[in-house]
Amino acid sequence: MIRPRERLWMNLAVGLIYVFLLAPVVVVVLAALNSGAYLRFPPEGLSFRWFVAFAHSRSFVRSLRFSLELATVVTVTSTIVGAMASLWVVRFSGRLRNTLRILMIAPLAVPGILTGIALLIFFYAVGWEKAGLAGLIVGHTLICVPYVFLITTAVLIRFDRTLEEAARNLGAGPFKTFWRITLPLIKGGVISGAVFAFVTSYDEFNISLLLSGVGTTPLPIELFDYLRFSFDPTAAVAGTISIGMALVVVLITQRLVGLESLYLGGD
Amino acid sequence: MTVTHAGAPAARAVPRDVGRHLLIIPALAVLTVFFVLPYLNLALISLMTPSHRAPYLRILTLGNYTGLLRDPFTWQVIWHTLWIGAATTVVCLVVSYPLAYHLARASRRLRGVFMVLVISPLLVGVLIRTYGWMILLQDTGLINQLLRAFGLRGAPLMYNNTGVLIGLVHVFVPFMVLSIAGTIQSIDPELEFASRSLGAGAWRTFWRVVLPLSLPGVLAGTILVFVLTVSSYVIPSLLGGFTVLTVPLLVVRTVTELFNWPGGSAFAIIFFLVTLVVVGSYVRAMSRASRPL
Repeated sequence: MIRPRERLWMNLAVGLIYVFLLAPVVVVVLAALNSGAYLRFPPEGLSFRWFVAFAHSRSFVRSLRFSLELATVVTVTSTIVGAMASLWVVRFSGRLRNTLRILMIAPLAVPGILTGIALLIFFYAVGWEKAGLAGLIVGHTLICVPYVFLITTAVLIRFDRTLEEAARNLGAGPFKTFWRITLPLIKGGVISGAVFAFVTSYDEFNISLLLSGVGTTPLPIELFDYLRFSFDPTAAVAGTISIGMALVVVLITQRLVGLESLYLGGD
Repeated sequence: MTVTHAGAPAARAVPRDVGRHLLIIPALAVLTVFFVLPYLNLALISLMTPSHRAPYLRILTLGNYTGLLRDPFTWQVIWHTLWIGAATTVVCLVVSYPLAYHLARASRRLRGVFMVLVISPLLVGVLIRTYGWMILLQDTGLINQLLRAFGLRGAPLMYNNTGVLIGLVHVFVPFMVLSIAGTIQSIDPELEFASRSLGAGAWRTFWRVVLPLSLPGVLAGTILVFVLTVSSYVIPSLLGGFTVLTVPLLVVRTVTELFNWPGGSAFAIIFFLVTLVVVGSYVRAMSRASRPL
C-alpha cells in the first residue's frame, strides 16, 4: 500500500540502484566501442579498432578459443551428470532427498578458490600433476553441475507425473516413456541448464586460476593477468563478448523456464 | 482388486529399481572423487610438514596451526577480511531491500523485465564487471572526470578499501535481492494495507510489518553474501591493488608463490572455522532478536 508521492521516491531510489547495477556492464561495452584509449565524456567516437586489436592479439584469441572449447566440453559433461542426478533426486531419492540436494549444490556453497586449491593439491597427491585440460574440465564440471541440477529440478517439480503414468498404461516402456513424454516436457529446463553451464564455465575464474597452465589458459585468466598491468580497451572487447553471451542466456532462460521459477517461489 | 493392483508393479519393479539408480551414479562419482576427497586431502595436507624441496613432507605435525594461530599477522588479515565482509553485507542489504520490495510487488509482466535486469549482471563474469568498475573508479576514470567537471577534487576510489567495497557490493546485490524478494512476495499485501488504513505511516509499516515478516529472507541473504564476500578473490586483488590483503589472497599467495601447501591449507581451514563461528553466532543472535515479543 503505497501512496503516489511515496511511490515516486521509491521509484527514484530503485532507478538509481539499477543504474548502479548496470553501470559497469554498460561502461565495458562503451569502452570497447570507443575510439580513444580512455573512456571520456563525451565519447570520442565510434570505432571498431579495439575489436581489430583483439582479433590480432594472439594470446587473447588463443585463450578465447580455449575457453570456448573448454566450455563446450563442460556443458556436455555437466548437463548429462546434472540432469540425470536431478531426475533421480526428484523421483527416487526418498529419504535421502535433502542430503543429496545439499551435496549436489555444495560446490557452489564452498569458496571456489578453495576448491581450486584442494583440486590442485589432490591432483598432485594422486600423481596427476600435469592434469592440464582434463583438470580444468573436472573443476569446471564441479561448478556447473549444481546449476544444471537446480534448473532441471525446478522444472521437474512442476512436472505432471500422470502423463507418464498414462503413457505406461497405454503400453509404452520406460525408455519410450522417457524419450517421448518426460524429455520433451523437461527439455526447456535441460536446455537452460546447459546454457547456464556454458556461460558459467566460460566465465569461471577461481578454479581456472589454480588449475590453468602453459597452453591451457582460459580467457578470464588471460584477462586477469592483462588487467593487473594495463587498462587498455582490448580487454573491453573480451568483456563485450561475454556480456553478449550473458544476454542470450538470460533471454533463453526467461523464454524456456522463466527466471522467476528459479529463485522466487519454486519449492 | 487392490491386491492384484499393488502386486503386479511391485514384482516388475525389482529389476527397474536397480537400473534407475544408475542415474545418480555419475554425479556421486564426480562429487566424491573430485570434491569430497580433495577437501579431505586438503585437511590432511594441513597437518604435513612444509619443505623447500617438495610441496610437503609426509610427516604429521600441528606446527602449521600453532605457528599461524600465534602470529598476530594471521589475526590482522582475518580481522580485515571479516570487516570487509560485514561492511559489504550491510551496504548490500541497504541497497538490495528497496529493489527486492519493488521486484516482489511489481506486476507479473514487469517482474520478468526487472528479473532480467537483476540477473543479467550475475551472468557477466566477475572479472568483466570488475573491469567495468576499474574504468569508472580509476583516477582518470569516469567518476573522477565527472567530479572534476563540477570543479570538485578527484577522490581516490580504487586501490583501497572503498574500491573493494563498491566492487563487492555490486557483485553480491543480486544474491541479496533474490533471497529477500522471495519472502516479501509471500507477505500478504493486505497486511500492509491494514497497517496503513489503521493510521501507520510508510516507515512504521515497513519497520513493524514488512521487515519483521521478511526476516527469514534477510537472514538467508546476509549469510550468503557474507560467506561469498569473505572468500572472494578477483575483486580484492584487482580493485584493492596491493593495499588490501584478505585471507583468500594470502592463501593463494602462500600456495602458488611460496609453494607452502601445508601452510596455505592450514590457513584456509582456520579461516573456514572462524567464518563458521561468526555465521553461527550471527544466526543465534538473529533468532533471539526475532523471537516474538
